[in-house]
Amino acid sequence: MHPQLQKLVALQDIEQMIAETQDQGKELEGMGFSIAGLEALKEKATKLAGEIEVRNLNYYRRLTGRFGHAVVPVVDNLCTGCFANIPASFVSATNENKLQKCESCGRILYWP
Amino acid sequence: MVIAEVLQHTSPELFLSDLKARNKPGVLSELVDKLVAGSPNITKRDAVLQMLESREALGSTAVGPGVAFPHGRTLAVQRLTVLIARSRKGVDFDSVDGEPTHLFFVLIAPPQDSGHKYIKSLAALTEKLQDANLRKTLLAAEDFATFCAALRED
Repeated sequence: MHPQLQKLVALQDIEQMIAETQDQGKELEGMGFSIAGLEALKEKATKLAGEIEVRNLNYYRRLTGRFGHAVVPVVDNLCTGCFANIPASFVSATNENKLQKCESCGRILYWP
Repeated sequence: MVIAEVLQHTSPELFLSDLKARNKPGVLSELVDKLVAGSPNITKRDAVLQMLESREALGSTAVGPGVAFPHGRTLAVQRLTVLIARSRKGVDFDSVDGEPTHLFFVLIAPPQDSGHKYIKSLAALTEKLQDANLRKTLLAAEDFATFCAALRED
């Protein structure tokens, strides 16, 4: 996987965890889970974001603001953000070294 | 959500009868290895491991007496997946009560799931595992089928 994509996936996972903890913290604490490490997790997200190329991070932020999720999985050759068809050529070996974007909605594509 | 619904997201291939690892990083690694081996839906080992490590940084998921619920959402899975594991000797998993952890219920969900199945499954499991007799039965269960049958009982 493209190393920048790997970091973007990790960042999106962590940022979703932070958002969910902020939204559902009481529910999680009701189940017995501690959320004491929330600030540490935010710091981890900031550090990870610092490892991402500025142009990629800016693009990720723009998409997150617009769609909620910037990186989306491709399932059955479909972008799961807008359900546009993704050409088979997108998964060719030559494309493994660059970020792939949906030609229809612009979201960053990820093959799980 | 009832436990029977939660168990629809696991399988015998996602059951580890006795963990080999003896510490927290080792357990997380072994759990993710089993997830990848037991579920065709999961291929990106590092992404899943990184997410679970982040979740543990938020606070230990070993909240039940002798039970841990490592969980979270990641792009690396396409549907809710539940893995069950045991450690007969018990391991130090930074539990809330400081006691060794013997039972592990791992829940991995995609970023979006309809009806919040993931949170409901987590709530159902944490509530069910409050029962000390059940925990004892689960630790002694011979195999996956016996384990699940005990969990389904009211």
